[in-house]
Amino acid sequence: MGLTLSYDDKKRAVLLLIAVGVVAWIAIDAAAGGSKYWARVLLRLPLLFTGSGSGWPIAGGFVLNILLSIAVMTLATALGTLIGIATLARLALLRVPSLLLMNFLRNSPWLVLLFAMLYILPFEVHVFGRVVAFPPFVKAVIGLALPTAANFSEVIRGAVQSIHSGQWEAARSLGYTTIQIYRHVIMPQAFRRMIPGWMNLYALVMIATALATVTGIQDVLTILNNLLAMESERVIVYFYLTVLFLFFAYCYPIAVLARRLERAVKGDNL
Amino acid sequence: MFGLDYSWLADPAYQQWLLTGVVNTLKLAAISSGAAIVIGLFGALGLTLRIFWLDALIELFVEVFRNTPPLLQMLFAYFTLSTLGLRVTDPATGLSVPLLSAFACAATSLSLFGGALAIEAFRSGIETMPRSIIEAARSLGYGRWARFWWVEAPIATRICLPALTNILTNLFKTTSQASVITVPELMYYAGQIYNDTFRTLEVMILVLVIYVTLVSMLTFAMARLEAFMAFPGYGKGR
Repeated sequence: MGLTLSYDDKKRAVLLLIAVGVVAWIAIDAAAGGSKYWARVLLRLPLLFTGSGSGWPIAGGFVLNILLSIAVMTLATALGTLIGIATLARLALLRVPSLLLMNFLRNSPWLVLLFAMLYILPFEVHVFGRVVAFPPFVKAVIGLALPTAANFSEVIRGAVQSIHSGQWEAARSLGYTTIQIYRHVIMPQAFRRMIPGWMNLYALVMIATALATVTGIQDVLTILNNLLAMESERVIVYFYLTVLFLFFAYCYPIAVLARRLERAVKGDNL
Repeated sequence: MFGLDYSWLADPAYQQWLLTGVVNTLKLAAISSGAAIVIGLFGALGLTLRIFWLDALIELFVEVFRNTPPLLQMLFAYFTLSTLGLRVTDPATGLSVPLLSAFACAATSLSLFGGALAIEAFRSGIETMPRSIIEAARSLGYGRWARFWWVEAPIATRICLPALTNILTNLFKTTSQASVITVPELMYYAGQIYNDTFRTLEVMILVLVIYVTLVSMLTFAMARLEAFMAFPGYGKGR
């Protein structure tokens, strides 16, 4: 019969067809008068990307969202590791407060937490006679890092607890101390299982950086809103679709990679 | 205490605003959660049919809504759907007005966002169903529908509950973003109150506490439901 396609191939073909259909639709729309709207979008694309009209220097835009997400993730990884280890401690004095903190942060909406941080954090603090300023960007980083850290500590907890108890017993019978067991037995295995969760969390953080517009930093949404104030009603659709696509194009590959790793990790049951 | 001033809370007007805000938040969360569960069920069931083009369409829907900010989805729905033709002519004034109010826009986009998450959760729940149980049911002579109704659905429900809890809390927290498109929910009234009183810090702390309390109540209720429904061998019913 010649061509036989597997189920996944057929599915991929349909997705490809849809992508072609979207491109064709854009082309038809452009021919039917949409091209002048796309020209507006194209003109503003450097501004949306980097926050300056010519594309350089970087003053904001989508690049700022990426920078923000990286800063948030760095801080949240450090903070989340501390909270995660504390929630696993056998000492109740350490475990109970950290569990309470984790649940508080996990149960509060990101937007509300971000707003709260905007007002709780001072404009500047004086440390040993030195003035440390808190610009909106720093406030956004802290405001987004808090819930992220709580989520990451949950990832750590889940990964450590997923290690079979036989590993603990075996290591203990060999005379390892608790710290040694964590260091040489549990963590090397748990680390592998954390990576997909960490990546999923990063995609989530990138999506959440859209909220940072409330702090007034020049992120892609702030710039978009400023731009749209002087555009016609019709062209707004094209601008929104462009920005939605920017986020999708950045986050989707990360999500796919995370899922692939997840499947690879699922195989090693101990 | 700590130099915080909560005297504005004694004003009945502000109490009324907060109450209205909470009620609207609950309404928005309830509507979008219900719709998200329905979308999730139909989507996951659609995937089990293994029709390749339906599978592709559902996957596209899930990925688009999972990988774009819900805030942007809401803004898109609010600012552009009326431009794209979702308008009706008001019979009273003869003017063309948007078909969807801000609340309807928020509810629609939250439902679709939650639905995408729910499809994914239900799908993985169905996937982790132990094959041996299905084979056992088959060897006992259950037909396709009897097997689904008496064996697969009860087990899948219990497997999916923890993930569903996550989605419902996530959705509840995301309702706060509807304030950006002027839906009069809790976060919106918080803005109104501090614009009036200039007590930003106090208002934000109170609102944060209200949200955490509501979400904690939701997680507690779901945990009780999980414990109530548990049966030996699955999840909590060890």
